[in-house]
Amino acid sequence: MKKSMLALTLTALMTVMAACSGTSGGPAAGGESTKSGSSNQGVTNTTQPAEGGEASGEQVELRVMWWGDQARADRTNEALKIFMEKNPDIKVIGEFAPSSGYFDKLNTQLASGTAPDVFFLGGNVVDYAKKGVLLDLSLYIDKELNLKDMDKAMIEYGTLDGKLQHISAGANARGILINTTMFEKAGIPVPQDGWTWDDYAAISKQISEKLGKGFYGTYNFTVDGFDIFLKQNSKQLYDMANNQLGFAEADIRPWFDYWQQTSEAGGVVTPELQVSNPPTDTGKSLLITGKVAMTLAASNQLTAMQGLTQDKLTLVQVPRGPKGTGVVFESSQGMSGYAKTEHPAEAARLMSFWINDPDAAKILGNDRGVPVTAANRTLLEGEANEVDSLIYDYTSRVSKQAETEPFAVSYNLPGFSEFSKLAETTVQEIGFGRKKVEQAVTDFYGGTVKIFDSNK
Amino acid sequence: MRKPPGASDNLTAYTFLLPWLFGFFCLTLGPMLGSLYLSMTKFNLLSPPNWIGLSNYLAIFTEDSTFTRSLTVTFTYVFLSVPLRLIFALLVAIALNKGIRALGIYRTVYYLPSLLGGSVAIAIVWRQLFEGTGVVNQLLARIGIEGPSWISHPDYIVYTIVTLSVWQFGSAMVIFLAGLKQIPADLYEASEVDGAGKLRQFFRITLPLLSPVIFFNLIMSIINSFQAFTPAFMIGDGRGGPLDATMFYTLYLYLKGFSYFDMGYASALAWIMLLIIAIFTAIVFVTSKYWVFYGDGKEGR
Repeated sequence: MKKSMLALTLTALMTVMAACSGTSGGPAAGGESTKSGSSNQGVTNTTQPAEGGEASGEQVELRVMWWGDQARADRTNEALKIFMEKNPDIKVIGEFAPSSGYFDKLNTQLASGTAPDVFFLGGNVVDYAKKGVLLDLSLYIDKELNLKDMDKAMIEYGTLDGKLQHISAGANARGILINTTMFEKAGIPVPQDGWTWDDYAAISKQISEKLGKGFYGTYNFTVDGFDIFLKQNSKQLYDMANNQLGFAEADIRPWFDYWQQTSEAGGVVTPELQVSNPPTDTGKSLLITGKVAMTLAASNQLTAMQGLTQDKLTLVQVPRGPKGTGVVFESSQGMSGYAKTEHPAEAARLMSFWINDPDAAKILGNDRGVPVTAANRTLLEGEANEVDSLIYDYTSRVSKQAETEPFAVSYNLPGFSEFSKLAETTVQEIGFGRKKVEQAVTDFYGGTVKIFDSNK
Repeated sequence: MRKPPGASDNLTAYTFLLPWLFGFFCLTLGPMLGSLYLSMTKFNLLSPPNWIGLSNYLAIFTEDSTFTRSLTVTFTYVFLSVPLRLIFALLVAIALNKGIRALGIYRTVYYLPSLLGGSVAIAIVWRQLFEGTGVVNQLLARIGIEGPSWISHPDYIVYTIVTLSVWQFGSAMVIFLAGLKQIPADLYEASEVDGAGKLRQFFRITLPLLSPVIFFNLIMSIINSFQAFTPAFMIGDGRGGPLDATMFYTLYLYLKGFSYFDMGYASALAWIMLLIIAIFTAIVFVTSKYWVFYGDGKEGR
């Protein structure tokens, strides 16, 4: 009797406990239960502006959310403060999260209807535009939103499905970030624009050989350079006009082969090190510690990286493929409004301020990329330091190249976070020797098609 | 005009039960049914769900290799961490049960990890310890072993997480300790007179009399371990990497739902997890009559 009671109690307990986990995936759908949860979460990260000014009744409250580190948060908050001084009728509340958890947080907020009025998005803007959660800004152009000075290509980039849904907050161009000090040590001349992928593989190998154990020529950027490779071979990641994949399985095989061969030759970082010190984590990057000589990076990253090392870094154009470098100026990230915001006009005013205001530009600098208006670019170039000048020099080289070899602005695939995870796993499967390249690429392409179909 | 006594008794009982009933129906049963419904839809969080019947379940079982991999990882974790943690907890409990002084302090100190263990901070500490150049490898280097990169090689990272789980032996230990104190001392005295050694005492007296407690700890540990999330999320790269070696079931569920906008699929995964845990618990219960002794003489096989 006693035992059966215990059994009963324990079974009940088990059901309840398992149920807790069982529903943890679900309740966001239910709406109500998560609503309070996620808004609380929002508040914990809230940085209250210093403004003591109690709402004068007319004051509108605007929530803004971005990702990044503390340094970026400081700059952003300062810029927001200036915005409030110039627009006393608006009170801005900033929230931020580290990039790793940012989009999960945003997704939860969107699902529960508590998303901020303005939030930053990166290359995954397509995903959000497709789900119809972004504010159509077209109505505010030339009124609250001044785009007269903004680059046409950037306006075009933010126009999805014929509606302006995204305002780029900074542009950059990807290139090969080089630790020139390591090249000096190895006694190899620093590469110049116009090199090819064969040069790249050979130089990587040389560096590894000359510097010995623990030093490598390059990071493995199969995933980050994927779209560049496609463009160099007149393909693309995502054919937006026809809403289909822009490449076939046969198109990507050579790219994976290239990296496999370069790795076997010894020029590439080991997969373990790539995992423990990923190139995207500026604090841990082996380029900073002088162990890896080259990687693919966005031009605006040079500032942050150079700030962390004594070694001299520089940017060189990406090696050329059949159609050229495949690199153009692209939006690094930008702002979108929430479709359900109660203050769309004020949101538009904030975005307009962000891209046009010279004071804001001075504070924000190149942190999110080069400013998207010509006036602010000139302004920043005027007070550029050595590192900034390197960036401007690089971006102007890219612009000049793009005049003779134009490439269309491209977008990421819908379902991008799942796609990039798949791509990363594929590279690791090859790197850790779990799969042959051929098999890995076949599986990768199959998986990509599935993800695309589920999200298109 | 008196009501029959039974009815008013029931009313009182239900009134007192009301808070619990409210919680059960609104916070447990409601969301559970909600997720059951969602598991049969395609739901991207932002637009209304579309009914697709059992397609999610079908896809999970027929064409999802990440699902099978995440099950493998989770089972490896459960089957390693649960026995190891229980054995460790039992050994420490026995050591503490020797009537040492300041028992309270030791008990508290050993219990602390299980309060902290699930936290993000400890997971980060673990990450630091087991890094390629972390403390663990430095110690190994002292004795001439070149340790692998525990957290960045897919073959080793799960063991790193298992050690974290074993380290949280505290709550099981406290329960074992209470169980050990219940075992009458005269049994040991009697067996000693009969010439039984320590080992024999352990297997013939301690273990059988402790079996109800082991039973309880086993069930709780299994349920907990299946639901492990934080260590995989923090010690791995948060995306199940490297190479899906930290793709615990709950992490996969989370990624599907909140990162990949596939809440219907995630709900289906959650229900499968519920079934798996239920099956395991049922197995333990069914086998329990062969190894759990309540010491009240009514085993009644």
